Amino acid sequence: MAALLSADHLDRRYGTVHAVADVSLAFEAGRLHAVVGENGAGKSTLLKMAAGVVVPDRGRVLVDGAPLEPHTAHEAIRRGVGMVQQHFALVGVLSALDNVMLGAEPVRSLGRLDGAAARARAEAVAREMGVTLPWDAPVETLGVGDRQRLEIVRTLVREARVVILDEPTAVLTPGEAGALYATLRRMADAGRAVVVVTHRLDEVRDHADDVSVMRRGRLVSTRALEARDDETLAAITRDIMGEEPPPPVERRARTVGDVRLELRDLRRGRALQGVTLRVAAGEIVGIAGVEGNGQRELVRVLSGLDAADGGSLRAGAVVVVHEDRLAEGLVAAASVRDNLVLGELRSFTRFGLVDAAALEREARARLDHAGVVPADLDAPARALSGGNQQKVVVARAVARSAKADVLVMAQPTRGVDLGAARAIHGEIARAADAGKAVLLVSADLSELRALCDRLLVMRRGRIVAELPPEASDASLGEAMLGGAEAEARA
Amino acid sequence: MSERARASATATVAGVAAGWLALALLVWLYGESPRAVVAQLVAGTWGMPYGVGQVLYKATPLLLTGVAVDLALRAGLFNIGAEGQLAVAGLAVGTVGARLSPGTPGWLAVPLVLAVALLAGAAWAALPALLRARFGAHEVISTIMMNRVADAAIGFGLAQGLAISGTVRTPDVAAGALLPRLDALGLPSLHGSAVSLALPLALVVALLVSAWLGRSRVGREIVLVGLSPTACAAERIPVARRIGAALVLSGAVAGLGAVAPVLGYKGYFESGLGAGAGFGGIAVALLGRGHPLGLLGAALLFGTLEQGGLVVNARVPMEVMTVLQGVVIVAVALADARVRAALVRRTA
Amino acid sequence: MSFLAAVLSVTMLAQTLRMAVPYACAGLGGVWSERSGVVNIALEGILLAGGLGGVVAHVATGSAWAGVAAGALTGAALGAVHALIVVRGRVDAIVSGIAINLAAAGGTRFVLRTLYESSSNSPPVEGFRAASLGGASGAALLARTLVDPLTLATAALVAGTAWTMMRTRFGLRVRACGEDPTAAASVGVDVPRVRLTAVSLGGAICGLGGVALAYDQHQFQSGMSGGRGFIALAAVILSGWRPGRAALACLAFAALDAVQIVVQDQVRGTGYLAQMLPYVATLVALWAVARRRGEGAIAGRPPAGLGKAVE
Repeated sequence: MAALLSADHLDRRYGTVHAVADVSLAFEAGRLHAVVGENGAGKSTLLKMAAGVVVPDRGRVLVDGAPLEPHTAHEAIRRGVGMVQQHFALVGVLSALDNVMLGAEPVRSLGRLDGAAARARAEAVAREMGVTLPWDAPVETLGVGDRQRLEIVRTLVREARVVILDEPTAVLTPGEAGALYATLRRMADAGRAVVVVTHRLDEVRDHADDVSVMRRGRLVSTRALEARDDETLAAITRDIMGEEPPPPVERRARTVGDVRLELRDLRRGRALQGVTLRVAAGEIVGIAGVEGNGQRELVRVLSGLDAADGGSLRAGAVVVVHEDRLAEGLVAAASVRDNLVLGELRSFTRFGLVDAAALEREARARLDHAGVVPADLDAPARALSGGNQQKVVVARAVARSAKADVLVMAQPTRGVDLGAARAIHGEIARAADAGKAVLLVSADLSELRALCDRLLVMRRGRIVAELPPEASDASLGEAMLGGAEAEARA
Repeated sequence: MSERARASATATVAGVAAGWLALALLVWLYGESPRAVVAQLVAGTWGMPYGVGQVLYKATPLLLTGVAVDLALRAGLFNIGAEGQLAVAGLAVGTVGARLSPGTPGWLAVPLVLAVALLAGAAWAALPALLRARFGAHEVISTIMMNRVADAAIGFGLAQGLAISGTVRTPDVAAGALLPRLDALGLPSLHGSAVSLALPLALVVALLVSAWLGRSRVGREIVLVGLSPTACAAERIPVARRIGAALVLSGAVAGLGAVAPVLGYKGYFESGLGAGAGFGGIAVALLGRGHPLGLLGAALLFGTLEQGGLVVNARVPMEVMTVLQGVVIVAVALADARVRAALVRRTA
Repeated sequence: MSFLAAVLSVTMLAQTLRMAVPYACAGLGGVWSERSGVVNIALEGILLAGGLGGVVAHVATGSAWAGVAAGALTGAALGAVHALIVVRGRVDAIVSGIAINLAAAGGTRFVLRTLYESSSNSPPVEGFRAASLGGASGAALLARTLVDPLTLATAALVAGTAWTMMRTRFGLRVRACGEDPTAAASVGVDVPRVRLTAVSLGGAICGLGGVALAYDQHQFQSGMSGGRGFIALAAVILSGWRPGRAALACLAFAALDAVQIVVQDQVRGTGYLAQMLPYVATLVALWAVARRRGEGAIAGRPPAGLGKAVE
């Protein structure tokens, strides 16, 4: 069958990172093609190039066999390629219908918007998809599932024949995810090419026709999924992981001490609906859950950036690693030195003046301990790789936790290479060994399993379950997603 | 040379080059010979001792307002209010200086009037600082409004008895409070020019502020807050306090800019004295790029243009020089944005 | 006449409307620019340049309408320069605005002196003087203001801006660019072009305000914008970036100006204090808006993409 969309030797670098290295790949009509790989494997960059959003350094994109010229999102849309990005490209204050229209507005004389025509078209597409949407509501009032459906409607209104979705199920409940795949299947059956970026193997197994695996910017394999057996899945897993073994689990028995962090019915806005939990000295407690269920807000309250509306929070001195290292973690334009001691200048100050030598000694010690290479204190933090940036943030938190009781770590290894992730895991374990109460918030189940003594599951602003780290995927998933499918459908 | 320094140098060169080009173009449009006008400009400024002295005199308040605007910029704030801060400080210095008894000795009078200048400038910046730090109201509009309020307030003050009746000037400042001119201090070749001890004072202030931003805890935190308030807040640096402090200090330094015309030249304050130095300071800060030597160079450049404008005024309107300030600001910013984008691209 | 009578007089109403025209034009210019995501403190300089452009064309051709066209074109050109520097050059909009204001302040004086050998004012111009409605009474002034083409044009522009912003394709795109340029770009909206168009359009309207200011005084005077561009921008912020409300806020500031004029005439010795009135009011307004926003008010929040480029 002819490829509707193909990548022809696409190549793209970001600074020193070779995000996509010489990838050629074809997407065919009537097929649901999954592109899988670990964080940072280059999946998103590849498909953003395919959708005209990112310009490749080398190589080209072919639509119906003809090059995409000029290489813009506008042209890609015109040629029938639509993409639903992970961070939705919706304008929050505009209505759902305005968002559907934007960029391809039907107009009458004088450039007047033809809302009726746009609505008729959108409703027709929605009917075909089997969904209904509140067209006049501002998008910011819609739930995540509706926003995603809106994005898909938008691509179809523009007569997309290729629809690319980046991590579409990351934010969905299982019921919603099932409905999404049903919709995608209908779209493929109607002769479109559907491309889904994901890192969930169960989705691949249940829904994909073809699967391509990327690792470190390269395309490792592409196969049609004829047999959906364990052997095939194991082969895909090997392709994803490569030769590297999974991170070693170094687990030691620790003495658990007094409770250092205790939340009772903690509330803030709609995000935190009453969180109750306790973490004791020498204990690592993990918070699992689908992202967007209040984890971020919980960390902000724990760090003191936001105040709680209600409930109680009892804690010793808390040190926090925030999930977004480029927003809350680092002053990107400042030196590594300044970042390693950010917020601690007081302890290097005498008579109002900073003792540069003492600061230098401390920063150097932290940098060496963290193992950042090259060990350049003068470099701006933004010049470091993601892994090294995170090592700097963690090194600061760990050093500061010497005088603290509680260490809160949010997504400490996100977007970080394996070596750095292992180093950071070592730091977390050592902090607990040293008697700190550690709260680890992570979207990475294997990380939680490897490190934590107990797992708490967060859903809709509450802790809904406590499980041992050995708990099965199924039981964890059930707790994370609300157990009953009924709730998801409600 | 570090990449950052090279980037600054590139931007500076681009700005200065664009400035001279624009000057040549405007002169040519006016129907004069650019070559002749530039020659006259150079001869009348750096070509004679008096001219040099006058350039240094003009550069003195510019250096101080430049340091002031730069200090605020480091905290991520635009202090467009240096103009009003300087003017209010001028009136305050003139008024207090005139009330000192004639026999007040210099060691007492000079520090006193300098303190008055600092305090008056700081006070005029305090309201925008409070609005920004406490309520998040944008400082650009509030400082501009304070400039306008300063105009009216000074007019009011002069009309209500601070001025000699029937004039718009204050009485003479006590002799002890005056800053001696440099020609009276062993540099007789500057004879007749108004450059005074305010110049070395400005240099010291530029170095002090730079050292304070680099060495003190509060100074360093101000710079970090300017780069990323979010990250600083997450690490419990008191962002609002640092922002407020930066703007108030900026006002204080801008206020000090008034001492050159009031204490070093006229010996009294009059309506409009020192006008333009506040806005000129914005250009100086944007060209000087956070380094005391850069600020000094920029102040000298714009001081030269200001004095040069007077020198060539018979041939070409001196208003050309204000246009040049705008051109230089844009050219520097454009060059800087290009270099920065390239830097980010390489290191992202 | 008592203070109260003066304030409530027909003269006061007429003065308010007359003063409101430049404010409202600058305000609409600010709405177009900022709704598209470009911070615009250059309004002050655009008022000046537009005013001078109008007067120069009026003097040269003898036609007030030619002046109107020239003022709008000058404003559009400066708006375009601002947008190019900010959008294409990726320069901070405040920096660009400061530079444009400086260049406009110096440039207008330069042009004045080049053309008319005075750096303070132009020769007198007729403007739209309605000869049949002479007289110094308040009623006559009101009548003259109401039939002034620039007053009428401003009223039409307020309505037109609101309508275009909400009902047309261009308006939708402007709003999208101001709220979320990255999202707009990813569905194929050419964000730089939309912003360039919107800021230029706003510049043209603001330029008209400059012409109105100059025609009102029957000459151009250097620095005659007197901070109105900045005050108009504050009015835009106060209005929550909505054209109709921005015009109302401008009317309120104009009323303060009018009070100032009327009071200065009536009550001796209040000149300087009255002069402060609009500026102090602006500061109070800024404080009130910031305070309200700090308390989490949703209505009237700034465009979320203000000052942001496409990622």
